[in-house]
Amino acid sequence: MEPILTLNNVSKFFGGLLAVRGANLTVQPGELRALIGPNGAGKTTLLNLITGIYPVSGGQIFFKNQEISNLSPNVISHKGIARTMQITSLFSGLTVYENIWVTVQSRKKFFNPFMKAASLKDVEEKTERFLELTGLKDKGQLIASELSYGDQRLLEIGVALSTEPELLLLDEPTAGLSTHESMSLVKKMRTMLTGQTIVLVEHDMNVVMELADKISVLHYGEVLAEGNPEEIRKNEEVKKVYLGH
Amino acid sequence: MSSPHQKPTGFLIGFSVILVVLVLIPFFVDLFYMTFLTEVLVWVLFAVSFDLIFGYTGLLSFGQALFFGIGAYSMAIPISKLGIGPIPSFFLAILVPMAFAGFVGYFSVRLSGIHFVIITLIFALIGSTLGETWTSLTGGADGLTIPFTPLSVGPLTIDLTNINTNYYLVLIVVTVCYLLLRRLVHSPLGKVFIAIRENEDRARLIGYNVKRYKLLAFVIAGALSGVAGGLYGITLKYASANFLHWGVSGHAVVYTIVGGMGTLLGPVIGTGIIMILEHYLVNFLQGTDLVIGIVLVFMVLVAPKGLVGLLKRNSG
Amino acid sequence: MALIALGLNMIFGLLHIINMAHGVLYMLGAVVAWYLIDLTGNFWIALILAPMVVGVVGMIMERGLLRSIEDKPITTIICTFGIMLAVQHLVFMTFGGTPRRINVPIEARFQLFDLQYPLMRVVIALISIGVMLGLWFFLNKTKYGLWMRAVVQDREMAIALGIPVNQVYMWTFVLGAALAAFSGVLAAPIVYVDFMMGREILIMAFIIVIVGGMGNLEGSVLAAIIISLIQGVGSIFVPPAIATVFSLAFMIIVLLFRPQGLFGE
Repeated sequence: MEPILTLNNVSKFFGGLLAVRGANLTVQPGELRALIGPNGAGKTTLLNLITGIYPVSGGQIFFKNQEISNLSPNVISHKGIARTMQITSLFSGLTVYENIWVTVQSRKKFFNPFMKAASLKDVEEKTERFLELTGLKDKGQLIASELSYGDQRLLEIGVALSTEPELLLLDEPTAGLSTHESMSLVKKMRTMLTGQTIVLVEHDMNVVMELADKISVLHYGEVLAEGNPEEIRKNEEVKKVYLGH
Repeated sequence: MSSPHQKPTGFLIGFSVILVVLVLIPFFVDLFYMTFLTEVLVWVLFAVSFDLIFGYTGLLSFGQALFFGIGAYSMAIPISKLGIGPIPSFFLAILVPMAFAGFVGYFSVRLSGIHFVIITLIFALIGSTLGETWTSLTGGADGLTIPFTPLSVGPLTIDLTNINTNYYLVLIVVTVCYLLLRRLVHSPLGKVFIAIRENEDRARLIGYNVKRYKLLAFVIAGALSGVAGGLYGITLKYASANFLHWGVSGHAVVYTIVGGMGTLLGPVIGTGIIMILEHYLVNFLQGTDLVIGIVLVFMVLVAPKGLVGLLKRNSG
Repeated sequence: MALIALGLNMIFGLLHIINMAHGVLYMLGAVVAWYLIDLTGNFWIALILAPMVVGVVGMIMERGLLRSIEDKPITTIICTFGIMLAVQHLVFMTFGGTPRRINVPIEARFQLFDLQYPLMRVVIALISIGVMLGLWFFLNKTKYGLWMRAVVQDREMAIALGIPVNQVYMWTFVLGAALAAFSGVLAAPIVYVDFMMGREILIMAFIIVIVGGMGNLEGSVLAAIIISLIQGVGSIFVPPAIATVFSLAFMIIVLLFRPQGLFGE
């Protein structure tokens, strides 16, 4: 099978700082890959590189055999990659409904200035569908910034899914949630995720062990180890790096 | 997508009432106030165009005065120097500012936040510096007078030196622009602008070409500012380099903030109230900035959503 | 030269607090000085006192009005814009619209090549340089200066380290205001004292800060020098207005290619 995402010796410099060092990664379609590693290991940077927020300093990134290394985020989004952020990034002044609506609309090629937005039936339909999917339908008219933190994280995943991506990058979706809330979110995620390839950056090892097909461990910007959850759990190097985790 | 508050019939009724009042006013009010009202309408258009770029797209541009002034000069220069008639000149007042907005916007939208403010400011400064010194073209601060002779459009004779005729022309143009703008902000394109305002990064991540739409908003706002400028030139019968000064943009800022940014009604109310206030205060205080300044500070600290915001809060 | 000193001031006002009223503080310096000179007949006293008075004004501004909105840049722009309008008008009503002169305290001139060069300008330049050096010293060598720099760099860290951040913010603002006033007093004998003084300077100052790099003092000084040079040299070949346009165009180019300023990071 052709890998859906390939990172080929990718590095990233920030001024004098080498955040990512020759990272190699191959993800198969339909896989759920977890990216773990201590803080500062470069996980979020990697996601930023994939989504085009930063250009790569070296190496290439391939998505479905197309090089996407230096494309801009909006172009990459249309290729089929979506992302949630570590620090919630929503349209805070808009309602839940509007957040999803405007995301669904993003897939269109042309935005008509002469008709009423409400009359776009196809967008409306899809919005309702995605609202149902996230389970936030009854909170549709609430302003995003007024949602509970947990619901905001949920909405962020919903927004990402509304672009109907093939590859979904989740940056610490359970960040800031209690164990109970995290498990609740994971349960919801299981129903929401319908076969997309997922790269999950996480700190919460319970979540990782629950969900991951395969784990890549990042350390000081390099991929230290890779394997299925059992292998990683037993890996001595990984244990050293995660002192006391 | 409609919020529970937006009742189309409510708007239609309110709007029609106001329109009828505005149409009938000349019969009840004397000419001095008619000129004032005409000016208010022009500033309403300017404020609303500013609200498009600031309230709806989230870009603070002090450079709108540039397009306002260019709009005025697009009437003044063709008519007084090139002998071109008022109707083609009016189209120039739409197109020329739009072209300039495209130029300025092309560079400016690459930046965000304070840098955007500064770069638009610099462009405005270049414009006003050139305007003030290139006196052979612009007449400098003293400006160029625009001679208007009655013109025939089909069976009608339109004499723009007649204050009421002037008023109706302005009323028609401003109303049309307002309605167009209203349709725009509720349209799919309008929603894109709003998304950019709410969270530019997120908008980009979900696939919107943010630069392109910022530029589009900027050009549309610039075109409308130009139309306002053109109307101003028509009403005052002259254009001056002072129109290009960034302080003029400052007026739009005040009107919009006080009235309520991000709504269309806001700038309308804000302009009306502030201009009336200014009109009465000018005599007491040798100027109006003191009160304007205080009102601005007050609004910003206490009621950031403007008067419209206050009204919504009390009724909702 | 006064421009350079101003450039420095702007940085303070712009410690992420976009202060559109800064030009007004400059103007107030000159105006207050005028009143003081009227009272005492002594320029040098005014030079010391006026900045202190304006510093207090700055304190009131920061404490009273800006504290609550410091984290919202667009809001502060608008708020300080309002303050600028109000204060300018207030001065107009009390001081009057006619520009007034302050007598040059040092009347001597001297020969510089072929021109009669007023000594006052040299004195101003020297004082400006002195103040800048003093400032540099203060920021880099004293504890309070260190605090100021820390707060600018990383506010959270500063709080964690126990630095009284709010106080530092206030004093930074006050210092910026005082510096603006100081330049106003220095500039006063050369340009007329007029309620509109602040407006033109304000824009230039902002631009200098952005071009020099926000938060970077040396950058602002250099930027100011560069821009003055472009303008000065330009004025030799083309009319001054065009020279202004050139320097403005230069700034646009800088902004586009190095938005962090020439020397920012």
